[in-house]
Amino acid sequence: MKFRLASVAVAALALVASATTAQAHIIASRLGDFYTGALHPLTDLQDLILWTAIGVLAGSLGAARGRWLVPVFPLGLLTGLVLADGLGFVSTRPAIDAAMILVLGLLLVAALRIPASLLCAIAFGLAVMRGAANASDLAPEANRLLFAAGLACAGYAAITLTMAVTLAFRRADAGPSTSWRGIAIRAFGGWIAAIGLMMVGFALAS
Amino acid sequence: MAMLVLAALILPRAARAHEATLGVLEFREVRPGAFIGRWTMEPSIGAARVDLRVPPHCFLRLPEMNCGDKGLVGSITITNLGADMSAVLIKIIPISGEPRSYTISTANPVVSLLGAGAPTLETWVELARTYVNYGIDHILLGIDHLLFVLGLIWIVGSGWRLVKTITAFTIGHSVSLAAAAFGLIGVAERPLNACIALSIVFVAVEIIKQQRGEAGLTARYPWAVAFSFGLVHGIGFASALAGLGLERRLLPAALLFFNVGVEIGQLCFVLLVLALFWAHRRLGAVLPRWGDALPAYAIGSVSMFWFLGRLLRVLAIP
Repeated sequence: MKFRLASVAVAALALVASATTAQAHIIASRLGDFYTGALHPLTDLQDLILWTAIGVLAGSLGAARGRWLVPVFPLGLLTGLVLADGLGFVSTRPAIDAAMILVLGLLLVAALRIPASLLCAIAFGLAVMRGAANASDLAPEANRLLFAAGLACAGYAAITLTMAVTLAFRRADAGPSTSWRGIAIRAFGGWIAAIGLMMVGFALAS
Repeated sequence: MAMLVLAALILPRAARAHEATLGVLEFREVRPGAFIGRWTMEPSIGAARVDLRVPPHCFLRLPEMNCGDKGLVGSITITNLGADMSAVLIKIIPISGEPRSYTISTANPVVSLLGAGAPTLETWVELARTYVNYGIDHILLGIDHLLFVLGLIWIVGSGWRLVKTITAFTIGHSVSLAAAAFGLIGVAERPLNACIALSIVFVAVEIIKQQRGEAGLTARYPWAVAFSFGLVHGIGFASALAGLGLERRLLPAALLFFNVGVEIGQLCFVLLVLALFWAHRRLGAVLPRWGDALPAYAIGSVSMFWFLGRLLRVLAIP
């Protein structure tokens, strides 16, 4: 099992490393660059699904493992943003985002008790990817610092709230995945995986 | 845990954001239907870059604008205000009758100028939309106000005590906002802004006291502290409306809608902070013991930085 999980992690890292282009959708909030950074992910389906999926996955694994993501995820977003904006790191293709959605969905379906370190690695890699993707949409005149702060705050709030809601729904910290609540989360993972599969197909077809 | 939120709050530029940049464009009627227009306060993007559109029957080439027999009635639009400017105030000074003012913001780039039969239902709707949005913008960009509210939440916690505290703050700032807007009280803006920063320092000290087991003033009488500082912050809110020169008959409604906007923004912020507190408790994601005081020191440091900066402005030191 550990070997498979390691393979998934290596595959995810390889996907991140092979990243090339991004779909730009520059937006501007009436409230300035901080709020632009905070609201920008909400305009992107990939961000919405991936953030939700990683939050639900972490929450379903219990508080002890999930809580590490509270600092790790926003740090990953900031790292991606800095890498993309400062060093020219290029964000991902839609197919890679879709593959990540599929992988996270399958992890939820399988209800694997992955260790905290691997969960953090996946979340960090994902956050770097999405941070870079968000950076590619930065308007030239935008204030980088405010945009980054907004994005990190949004990442922190979204991941923390999603994990807490999942944990509250799941109730037992490490309860059996066969309880109806566990099954509901697995079914949710099934939907995530199905969306990922459709997006992979769509990305490959286009 | 709230360090990330605080990190954003710490940004120096954010402190500046609350001081709304306002452009003021005045149209003075010199003959029936003919106006002389001038920027009495130039917007931050520069007057020449403002994309100003007037009603189609008006011919505009600043400083002149001629609207003929129909007069200045219809829509004025500015679509390129950008994120850094809060609003442009259009002042119309007719040959006879009261001067009128309209606010254009990024959220509401169009204003309909009132005709002789105003105010109509359409006017009220537009007024509500404009000022509710302006109130929301003002509170969400008012990092200092939000930091003060965060400090109050930190001390008071949740439940009825928080409801009473936030309500007291609301009543306080509503009273002084109305008083300042109606000209009953007047306070110089620079010292006031320094006092607002100092109020946040006070709250930060109160948090530290509470963490040391001492019952500070805020912990004992949260509603009284919230009300008192609400009065101070309300005058600060009023400074955002100062100089708008609204028609006196529309001022109460504009104030009401502005206040509603401020409350909507404040409520969103309070609910988000409470939700994050709950999430942290649920996840058991709390700061280690040595980091307990960090948020209070962060709040205190930022607000002291603002206070000193604003004090220098009071003393007119560049």
